Parts: sequence; structure tokens; C-alpha cells
Amino acid sequence: MRVLIQAVTATVTAMALVGCGLGGGEPAPEAAANRVPDLAAGQQVSIVFESYNFGQAGPWTDTFTELIAKFREKHPNITVTAKKPQGNSPNPAADTVSSLQSQLAAGLVPDVAQLGFSDLDFTVNQLRAAPLDDLVGRDAVQANFDGARHPYAKPARTLGDWGGKTYGVPFVFSTPVLFYNADLLKAAGFDPSTPPATWAEVERYALAVREKTGKNGAYVDCLSKIAKDWCFQALVRSAGGRVISEDRTRLTFADPPAVEVVTMAQRMVASGATPKRTQQQAVDAFARGDIAMILESSAVQGTFAKGAKGKWDLRSAPMPAFDGRPAVPTNSGAALFVFAKDPAKQRAAWELIRFLTSEESFTTIATKIGYLPLRTGLVTDPAGLKPWADSNQLIRPNLAQLERMEPWVSMPGTNYLQIRDGMMEAVEDAVYQGKDPAATLKARQDQVSGLLAAGR
Amino acid sequence: MTTKVSRQVSGHVVLGTLGVLCVFPIYWLYATSLRAPGDIGSLSPLPWPLSLDNYADAWRTIDLTGMLVNSAVVAVCTAAGQLLVGLFAAYAFTVWRFPGQRLLYLLFVGSWLVPFQVTMLPNYVLLSRLGLLNTIAGVIVPTLCSALGVLLLRQHLAGFPRELLEAAAMDGRSSWATLWTVVVPALRPVLAALGILLVINAWNEYFWPALVLRDNAMVQLGIRSFMGTEGNDWGPLMATAGLACLPVFALYLVLQRHIVNAFVRSGLK
Repeated sequence: MRVLIQAVTATVTAMALVGCGLGGGEPAPEAAANRVPDLAAGQQVSIVFESYNFGQAGPWTDTFTELIAKFREKHPNITVTAKKPQGNSPNPAADTVSSLQSQLAAGLVPDVAQLGFSDLDFTVNQLRAAPLDDLVGRDAVQANFDGARHPYAKPARTLGDWGGKTYGVPFVFSTPVLFYNADLLKAAGFDPSTPPATWAEVERYALAVREKTGKNGAYVDCLSKIAKDWCFQALVRSAGGRVISEDRTRLTFADPPAVEVVTMAQRMVASGATPKRTQQQAVDAFARGDIAMILESSAVQGTFAKGAKGKWDLRSAPMPAFDGRPAVPTNSGAALFVFAKDPAKQRAAWELIRFLTSEESFTTIATKIGYLPLRTGLVTDPAGLKPWADSNQLIRPNLAQLERMEPWVSMPGTNYLQIRDGMMEAVEDAVYQGKDPAATLKARQDQVSGLLAAGR
Repeated sequence: MTTKVSRQVSGHVVLGTLGVLCVFPIYWLYATSLRAPGDIGSLSPLPWPLSLDNYADAWRTIDLTGMLVNSAVVAVCTAAGQLLVGLFAAYAFTVWRFPGQRLLYLLFVGSWLVPFQVTMLPNYVLLSRLGLLNTIAGVIVPTLCSALGVLLLRQHLAGFPRELLEAAAMDGRSSWATLWTVVVPALRPVLAALGILLVINAWNEYFWPALVLRDNAMVQLGIRSFMGTEGNDWGPLMATAGLACLPVFALYLVLQRHIVNAFVRSGLK
């Protein structure tokens, strides 16, 4: 009898511990009853989809409108109202989080939203995006990543994960690419088919271009507040450091690797290899053919291609490395998140996400807008995007970097934007205003570290 | 004599330089909008060959006609509402004496001193509850009362001869009839000048419409349809901006004297 009582007690205790989530390292499979049910036949649902792509006229709005129409054909019971983020920034992508915040204040939240990876912590912990693993089951989420024929690139699958669960399905991404003007490199005496692969080479090429052509050498669009920190993180990772510790409890952007990056960039400005220009000025000048090289998001490729057309030879190369160390590109971009609270809307939202991240949609988006598909197998599929990829050599570095990129780490807490902007202001002050890199970064790190703790 | 001439010349040179500096951004806007799409990044001061492709592109890409109509509706309705509210309030403050009058007037004036950022969120939440978000009415309704309008009209009405009001009363005219048959005709130049000023203010408004409307339904917001993460489409952007400026320029050309008068009366600029 005593043995029986002990056995029952042990069983009950074990069950209680499992129920409390203390049962081991692997997450317990969630009961199917917790999943949002499939929509009943003929059940009508209306959802709101908020994406910054609807804020830009031309192929962006047109393509997404076309996709929503196709989705409607496949799911006649789901009505999707597409909206751009609310706000007054010229660039609608800058309004994504503030739009959700203001709508939360008014009690209106879109059911699906496209948000950037740098906002991931805030999106999950403050805006309360729904965990997709809980909504539709981890198997369904992973099956969507596997796709019908072409799975997601491995590093891309977890970009929207938080605490072991998938909250966002990565949708668009870009990596830092070195775009260059082959004509200017040639005029400076270099072989344009071998672009610079290290930062030392970039500086050497840039000074030669300036000396021999009178044009500007190289611009690194990773060193100002407006550029955000995704590309700066790539530079620091390439130098062997991080801007925040791996456990995200301590800022490390004043450590030697970050100081090395800023010192290198400051030297390039001081030597004249890099022009003192704002981001917009540099992008326009490069498109005009007045700067030989620019490290820029692959997303801006269309602007450069338009500027270069019929005037100069635009080419692209992978992000340069620091001597003896591999380059570590990080990703910019956005994922699709569910904010709906109603189970029917949650199910409809998931169906929309599945459709927008399908092979069919990625093919449409790539051919009409130019975004690289996260289902990378499509670019080698003759029935998919191979013809498109073959005629777009500029996408090669971005595609290659996708396989070895590291995630853009979002700053933690409610003060994440102040921390990020504070860091980038210090970088900008050192690079373009000539302040001492080590002292400036250290002072700013000490200053914003308090925000890190306060925002938790 | 020589000193006088040299002072005049130097004065004109300074004014001319300042004039060119003021006009140059507007010239550059139209110059860029008239460049061929392939030359859009060119820094040449004279766009050549001239092209209307950017205007055609803007017209094709966004609903410019609808946006211009919406902007005109917002500007005219806002100005008309502000003028009407201002007229009624100023009339009441001038003609009658009532308890709390001074306090109420100070509240009107005080509301002019409250920054927009303070009232923005409560207004936004109220519009949400009224279901007016993302509507043209939502842009107009919270701006229908202008403290500037009340202030200016009250100042003008304060100098209005009371004998005329008393004579109208002796004629047996009601307050309402007195307002429309005696006060308004006498204030017509002031109302015209203030109306023009309010239309221009409402036309140039960007922040509030951007907050209420999310679908770029007005031309001032339509400009940003050509800006995005993948770069800016400068050609149609400048063409749209050029078109957005035209109504105010046209208004200025036609009503130049009244506009200058409005600025002088308002004590601004």
C-alpha cells in the first residue's frame, strides 16, 4: 500500500512539474485543443494586413495588391484589408512600430503586420505578437518553412524566433553588399573583375580613385544614426566583436573590435577615402556615378541600377572583410507577425502568411519588385526564378551571403530605440566629427547602459 | 549722393541675393521634375532636354486627381469652418457681456499656446471612438476652431462702431440678422484676408493629415508615395511636389494684394 501511495505521489508530482513547464529541456508538445481551429466551410472572416510596402507607389503597392487579390481567389471566405503603417515619416518603414503603438492606444490592431527584425524583442514582449507555434503548432510552422518544393534558407528560418518559439515568419531580407562603379575602378587602374575584398583594399582603391579620377572613393552606409545599426553590427561582428553580449545583458559596443571598426572608418574619412556625406547624399551621388564604391543594403539595388542604366557599369561584390578574419554579414529586413486575438482571425492571418511566403508569392515578389526569395532553391529552379536570377548578376553576393549571415540582434527592453540611436550617434560623432573613438564609445556605452536595465 | 546710391545698390544686391536663395529650391524642384527620367540625378542647373515623363509617371502611379480634390476639400472646409467659428465667437465676445467672458476668451487664446503634440493623441483617440480615423472628415473636424481666427476677428470687432450695432437693434434687427447684414459686410476685407491665410495654412498642413489618413489620400501625403526603403523615386516625387505647390502659387498670383494684407493684419511674417 505504501509503495502504491509513493508511486501515485511520484506520478502526480511528475505530472504537475510537466504541467508547470519544469519537465525538461525540450518544450512539451502543446495540446491540439490549444490550436486555433480551421475555418468552417463558408465561414466569413475579415482581417487587416499592415505592411510598409503599401506605402510606396509603383511595383510595391501593385505587386502586393495583386498578391492579395490572388489570395482572395484561393480563400474566398477571407477578406483582407491592406494598409500601410500610420504615421508621418517620409519612409513608411520607419512608422511600423509607432503605428502599432498608436493603434494599440486606440484599441485597434492589425491582424497581420510586417515588422523589422530590429524590433523583434519589442514586438514579442511589448506589442505582444502571437507565438505561431502556439497558434497553429510547431509542425505546421516548420512545414511552411519546408515549403512545397523549396525550403527556406537555413539561417533565415529562425530570424523571427524568440525564446525557442517562432513569432514571425521572415519575409524580406537584405545583407550589406559592396556596390561599385566598374568604370571608375578601371579609370583608377584596377581590374573591375577583382573588386576589393578587404577594408584595407577598399581604402587603397578609394584613395586611388580620388587621386586619378577626382571622384569620391568609398562610402560605408553603416556609420550613422539614420542607417540604424544592422550594418554596423555586421562590421563589428566581422572584426570579431559584438555590440551587445550574447545573453543580451551587457552592451559591448565600446569593446576593442567596435573601436577598431570606428577607428578604421574615421581614418578613411580623414584620409579622404570616404566623403563626408549623409546617407541620402551618398546614395544619390553613387547612383549618379560620383562615388566609386558604397557598402549598402542590397535593397537599394534598384535605385543604383536605374541611375547607372546606359551611363556606367554597376557591379556588386560581397561585404569586405578585415584582414585575416571572415566577413560576417548580418541581415536587414522584416517578418510577418500575427496580432489578431480572435481565433478565426488568427487562423485567417496564418493562411495569409502561408500564402505570402509560398513559392508562388516569392516568385511574384522577386520578378516584380526584385526582392530576393528566402526560398533560395527557387533561383536554381528553371521553372522558378532561374531565368530571372541568371539575368540579375547583381543579386549573387546577397544570395551567397544569405547562407552565412548572422541575425541582426535587436536591443532589449522598452528603451531599445534610445540605446540603438545613442550607440549610432556616438559612432557618427567619432567617424564624421573626428571625436576619439574609444572615449566616445565608452562614454556613450556608460550613458545608455542605464537604459538597458531601466527598460527591462 | 554717391553714398545714397551705393546704399541703394548694396541694399538691392542683398535683397536680390536673398530672393534668389529663397526661390532657388522651388526652381530646383521644377527643374528636377522636368528632367528626363535618365537625367534625374544630374546636377546641371538647366534641365535639358525638357520632359514631362515624370508628371505622366506620377499621374499614372498615384491617384493625383483624387488627392488634389481631397486636399482642396480639406483646405476649403477647414478654412470655412475656422472662419465661421471665429466669426461667431468674436461676435459673442464683443457684443455681449456675460459671466466668465474674460476667462472663456483667455481659454481660447490659451489654446493657441498649447503645442499640437499635447492635443494630438487625445484627438486621435477621440477620432478612433467616433469612427473617423482614415476619413477626410477626421482631418477637418478637430481643426474647425482656430484660436488665431477668434483672436484676429475679436480684435477687429473690438474696434467696430457700437453705434451701428445699437442702430440695428433700434431697427428691430435680431442679433443674427445684425451679424449677417451689418457686421459681416463691414468685415468683408478682413474675412477675405483671414480666409486666404487659413486656406494656405490648411493646404500646407502635413502632420495632422499624416496622422489621421494612412492611405496618402491628400496630395501633401501622396508625395511620400515615392519614398521608401528601396530609395526615392525623385522624378515623380518632384512632379507631385510641384503640383502640390501650384494651387497656392495660383492663389498668390490672383489674390496677391489680399494675401499680403492678410499677413500684415495677422502680424505674422
